[in-house]
Amino acid sequence: MRRSTILHSFYSAFRPLSTRTLPANCLRKSFSPITQSLRAPNAAPFSSSSRLLARKGKGGGQKKDNRITQIRYHLTHQKTPRPLRFSRLRALRHWTIHRAWQLFRAKQRTAEQLELERQYNSMREACEALRLMDERGMSGQEGGREVGRLYRIAMEKKGIWDNVPIEYARIQMDYPSREGWNHEWTR
Amino acid sequence: MNTGQRSARQIALKAGWPAKGPVCFSCQHQISRRTYAIAAAAAVETQTQANLSHILPVTSTSSQQAYQVRAGVVLSRPPLLTRDLHPFEKAFYLYQRRLNERLALPFTRYFYFKKGTPTDVEWKRKVKARLTPARDIGVYNAYGDEGWNDEVLVGAKEAETEWQVESLLKDAEAPITGIPGQESENGAGAPNGVEFDGEQTPGVSSEKGKVEAVERLMPRVTTADRKGDMKSLDRLLQRSLYLLVKNKEGRWTFPDDRLMGKENLHQAAERVLVQAGGLNMNTWVVGNAPIGYYSFDFPTRRPGLQKNAEELGEKVFFMKARIMAGQANLTENKLGLSDFKWLAKEEIQSAVTPRYWNAVRNMLAER
Repeated sequence: MRRSTILHSFYSAFRPLSTRTLPANCLRKSFSPITQSLRAPNAAPFSSSSRLLARKGKGGGQKKDNRITQIRYHLTHQKTPRPLRFSRLRALRHWTIHRAWQLFRAKQRTAEQLELERQYNSMREACEALRLMDERGMSGQEGGREVGRLYRIAMEKKGIWDNVPIEYARIQMDYPSREGWNHEWTR
Repeated sequence: MNTGQRSARQIALKAGWPAKGPVCFSCQHQISRRTYAIAAAAAVETQTQANLSHILPVTSTSSQQAYQVRAGVVLSRPPLLTRDLHPFEKAFYLYQRRLNERLALPFTRYFYFKKGTPTDVEWKRKVKARLTPARDIGVYNAYGDEGWNDEVLVGAKEAETEWQVESLLKDAEAPITGIPGQESENGAGAPNGVEFDGEQTPGVSSEKGKVEAVERLMPRVTTADRKGDMKSLDRLLQRSLYLLVKNKEGRWTFPDDRLMGKENLHQAAERVLVQAGGLNMNTWVVGNAPIGYYSFDFPTRRPGLQKNAEELGEKVFFMKARIMAGQANLTENKLGLSDFKWLAKEEIQSAVTPRYWNAVRNMLAER
């Protein structure tokens, strides 16, 4: 397989470090306590079976899973991190596009904010008119007996989340359904 | 009228100050601490009297006068589709995707496709044509010599949403016959796949190039849009639609009716919905508070409901409601309505009177 031959050159680079790959004159090998403790059973295996039966491959020890090798290969690809090189005019154009996008988004956000404000003000004016209205619909002063009865009821928050239809949670799609609107719905 | 004010008033009463007046509690409190408290009290007294004299004419003469209090329903169908993108947005998104292509790692084909499998062959064929793993950015190779040339010209087809969707769908189409080496026994199964959605796909009739049809999407512009059917709820799917009705006077308004007895706005709104549009609408009245208000003075006073009462005008409080399914049916309506329409915001402006539009425009959603 060609892939294996390509990867083979990388293989030694990504093989996990083991004591066997360390050179003989490596200081870590001779002084590391871990290595020391590991070496003892290596030199004289106490019991035996598993190590002796271990397959001795070409690279020594168990071969890594090919997929893992490939993932590691591609994660440390030579072409990473990829440079994004712009010429001077191209960089200026990019900056212009970026600024234009920021302005565009700012305009959109302002428009949304203003719309919410308009709706809120409309609601507030309606509630204010309701608050100062008596039972005959005349706008009187606050504090009368029947003034603001509808307002007090409208401000009631009890049970407003009861029976919220599940269809209210429907999200917007990019394309309509095949059936279209259900005009024939009957109670 | 909240409890805070009420309790403040009680404290003021205990302190010996006039209960009603335009001076707020904190001011009264400060005034009472002053040494010239008597003079201040006098000032408050006169102000109170002035205030009372301002109210009194209204209360004395209003035994005869009244306003019609009405509850209106702004029944809306929410937008079903996402909004149309601005051309600048489309161009910018494509620009960003191509930049991403310049920044991304090379596609690891061996990781995703096993060598020699039909999917691998298929992948190679596709990538050869479009030079990039991304399916919807057009022909562009970020790794080649032309990698710098990532921008498209103004008005390029690649920026259009329809083109992108079409290219995605085309990519999903798998050839039925598979790779040339494995085709032989698939001949019988091929026609079934094509017949499934036969009339919507551009049929590729050559034996080898036969592709399995992918279901195409419904268009965003519906037949109701093309015909200009104002009564259909399938029109203008990316906008909110509002129910407008033609009332007894022949004016287009939101459905409304006078409040009956002691009912509140929410109950009245639910009643108006049923009396105007019939039972066969799945609706929900949102909340108890009105979202808008329209006040109109009649040119001549009209006799009221009670004896010796006359009505100066009408006050309509609009409640917000949503329709989930169904359609309005005016055949059995009890409000004297003759026609209905489902209109978007700017269409309402041309349908209603300017005065009504001014009262109503702010509560309607832009989209």
